[in-house]
Amino acid sequence: MKRNVYIGVAFSTLLIALAVASTVLEKRAAVEAAGVQAPRFEVDPMWPKPLPNHWILGMTIGVSVDAQDHIWIIHRGGSLERMENYLAANPPASECCMAAPPVLEFDEEGNLIGHWGGPGQGYDWPASNHGITVDYKGNVWIGGNGRGAAVAPPTQAAALNESQPGGGPFNDNMVLKFTQDGKFLMQIGHPGQSKGSNDLENLKGPAKMFVDKDANELYVADGYGNHRVIVFDADTGKAKRYWGAYGHKPDDTSLGPYNPDAPPAPQFRNPVHCAEIANDGLLYVCDRVNDRIQVFKKDGTFVKETIIAKRTLGDGSVWDIAFSKDPQQKYIFLADGSNEKVYIILRDTLEILTSFGDGGRQPGEFYAVHSIATDSKGNIFTTETYRGQRVQKFVYKGVAPVTKKDQGVVWPKKAS
Amino acid sequence: MKSPASDSSSAACNKNARHLWISLFIAALVFLFPHALMAHDIPNDVTVQVFVKPEGQKLHLLLRVPLNAMRDTEFPERGAGYLDLARVDASLREAAMVWIADAISVYEDDSRLPNPQIHEVRASFPSDKSFASYDEANAHVTGPRLSNDVQVYWNQVMLDVLFEYPIHSDRSRFSIHPGLARLGLRVVTALRFLPPDGAVRALEFVGDPGLVRLDPHWYQAALNFVKLGFFHILEGTDHLLFLFCLVIPFRSLRKLIPVVTSFTVAHSITLIASAYNLAPDFLWFPPLIETLIAMSIVYMALENIVGGVGVQRRWMITFGFGLVHGFGFSFALRQTLQFAGSHLLTSLLSFNIGVELGQLLVLVVLIPVLHAFFRFAVAERMGTIILSALVAHTGWHWMLDRGERLAQFRFAWPVLTAAMLAAAMHWLMAMLIVAALMWYVVKRWPLRFPLGEASSRDPLTIGTAQIHSARQSLKTEMGGEI
Repeated sequence: MKRNVYIGVAFSTLLIALAVASTVLEKRAAVEAAGVQAPRFEVDPMWPKPLPNHWILGMTIGVSVDAQDHIWIIHRGGSLERMENYLAANPPASECCMAAPPVLEFDEEGNLIGHWGGPGQGYDWPASNHGITVDYKGNVWIGGNGRGAAVAPPTQAAALNESQPGGGPFNDNMVLKFTQDGKFLMQIGHPGQSKGSNDLENLKGPAKMFVDKDANELYVADGYGNHRVIVFDADTGKAKRYWGAYGHKPDDTSLGPYNPDAPPAPQFRNPVHCAEIANDGLLYVCDRVNDRIQVFKKDGTFVKETIIAKRTLGDGSVWDIAFSKDPQQKYIFLADGSNEKVYIILRDTLEILTSFGDGGRQPGEFYAVHSIATDSKGNIFTTETYRGQRVQKFVYKGVAPVTKKDQGVVWPKKAS
Repeated sequence: MKSPASDSSSAACNKNARHLWISLFIAALVFLFPHALMAHDIPNDVTVQVFVKPEGQKLHLLLRVPLNAMRDTEFPERGAGYLDLARVDASLREAAMVWIADAISVYEDDSRLPNPQIHEVRASFPSDKSFASYDEANAHVTGPRLSNDVQVYWNQVMLDVLFEYPIHSDRSRFSIHPGLARLGLRVVTALRFLPPDGAVRALEFVGDPGLVRLDPHWYQAALNFVKLGFFHILEGTDHLLFLFCLVIPFRSLRKLIPVVTSFTVAHSITLIASAYNLAPDFLWFPPLIETLIAMSIVYMALENIVGGVGVQRRWMITFGFGLVHGFGFSFALRQTLQFAGSHLLTSLLSFNIGVELGQLLVLVVLIPVLHAFFRFAVAERMGTIILSALVAHTGWHWMLDRGERLAQFRFAWPVLTAAMLAAAMHWLMAMLIVAALMWYVVKRWPLRFPLGEASSRDPLTIGTAQIHSARQSLKTEMGGEI
């Protein structure tokens, strides 16, 4: 009997101790929550599901999420190595593999639910497609940065590198507009016709597009050959306005290589790699090699800029951005394909809160993370170019206190 | 007005037949024209948003459906295939009646409501956000139309439609059978019910869920979940194999009661904890549980083979494995708990009752079959070994397959935060309370089953009871302590 009393007292004491400890910890958790917070992500190694037909991806050069949370990617079949295309040889040289069609549509679960793309009647398919955007009407926009004539994948690979150093004049001086099932709707610009950054008819290696639903205007990050943002009527394709860095008239004079110790460049360097409008009407432009984001009003008035990873040379640090899906779009997610990470930036102050990712080929790692998009649930999708050649999903796990400036690879681990 | 009971049985037959034909038709299309499907002739993935709001003498049913799911309806086009918005209203109304109103049955207190009137239709951009709430959606569908000069490709448009049903009272109990599965190969319906008390009840289901009671009575929810639990255990091969392992050495209901009860209590704890969002949210957690379930089968089978199984030992082991199986049940219930209405706990307990009834049925069938098997086919010990070996073999392969999936996740210790430690404390408190209860139960009602009885007649097995009795007899013979 006495023993039972002891056991009972021990149980009760332990229970009270735990209750007190959990109350203290909850208070501390509330204090932690009031500190610096940022969205937290975990890579989903099971997304997407395997492609059918022995299809594989080449440089995966664009990603966009439509209003139904379908994930659209575009890739370059032509960038595959010969042995990766053995199935496409005539006769087939092996049982595997061949390039998937350029445009692929996945559902939320990662099932491939649509595919199309490639040269066709009535339009000029890019020699090297670049960027994909699904607009507010559901239309699909595609840019390109190829030099030389368009080719049907997968026969040519050599000339289709992301930066294409030392290539000839730009072939891909146009953007294309399609329906979601691949029906051609419109082309702005023509191959090989660009007259530079003040040409209203043509683009020059357009990298990424955004359609502003308030004015039905298409914003183009233009691009690999030009040094500007240009705005078109999204229905007629008529140019409306354009500008360069700081809202200046763009100038194609060579700036030479990027020098992190020099004053900020007065012009965009090539490529001008993204142009995204936030819900509050501010336009964010990726000046990739200058390692900076510049912010404008829709009319081209310069607002502010921020430098990211200033000492990054070569391909630069500011590759692509996406906004968090809260109505205020509190955070910017910035893909940096040189340092192989995604920065989480407070949109209001452009302060970097934390980052995740590292170089490598395992899930959650990156090799040349090129494009980034978010779905309505806050999940992030990234694509990788060069030899990265894949799409990855990072599952949104809620907002958490920032404990590290650089989180490294975000493997599935912690309960939210 | 017809009652859903009589109506739904005849309607169910018709619907089943119709679904069979639709399925066959879709399967034939998939086989014959795979590329046509990829071109969205039958959309692969359709999301339907639905609001149901009874208000006074009317029930408002407000839906958003992609227009490309309205097949066989000609929509007026202009230019490159853009919707002719000036002339589209009649087609939208026709599509709304044929593809939506005719497919949906709404019931007020078990009486089917007559066909609805279309109050408004609108064509909307796919990116329109007004279906975030009923008020915004209602304002949108009764607000201005898209301007006629807007260029929007016809099959990228959303059809918004507001139906009105006459009802007796907005306080009635409403049910809906949203037969929208034919709109695509995979149709996800997100339904929000807004009763007059101001609550919003959200449901999401894939395909045709059958009759959905939007505000079920507790007994309706209970019955639904009893059925669900009953069929879940009967369809869950891994749970059945686990049960089979439990039965092999104890082939009487009397001896199985403590074991099965222990299993039930344990899986109820984790199932209820999961339903209240207390389960871990790791991506690797479901594969871990699946692997552990396979391991539980292997362990039980091996224990049967090795022998020496006592009731005392088995109910404790079963309690541990029951906790694991409870998480497994929770994965099965995750999508279904939304149909519990406001009766979450009742539904969870009912699910458990269903599971118990299913288990009881299995036991009632298995026990005589095993008795007969051991009596006429093979000696008990040998039969136990053979049957357990077969189960162990299956469980082993499941364990390896599931373990392989689990191994794809790399484990890393999470960063310890105060919130996480507080959650861990809550779990410890819960475990302590359970342990205290168990201790009390064991103290208050000591187990009256002789230990090792199951195998006491088996010459190949030396159970705890035999050792105990040997010790006793030796003690007696020696006349004192040994």
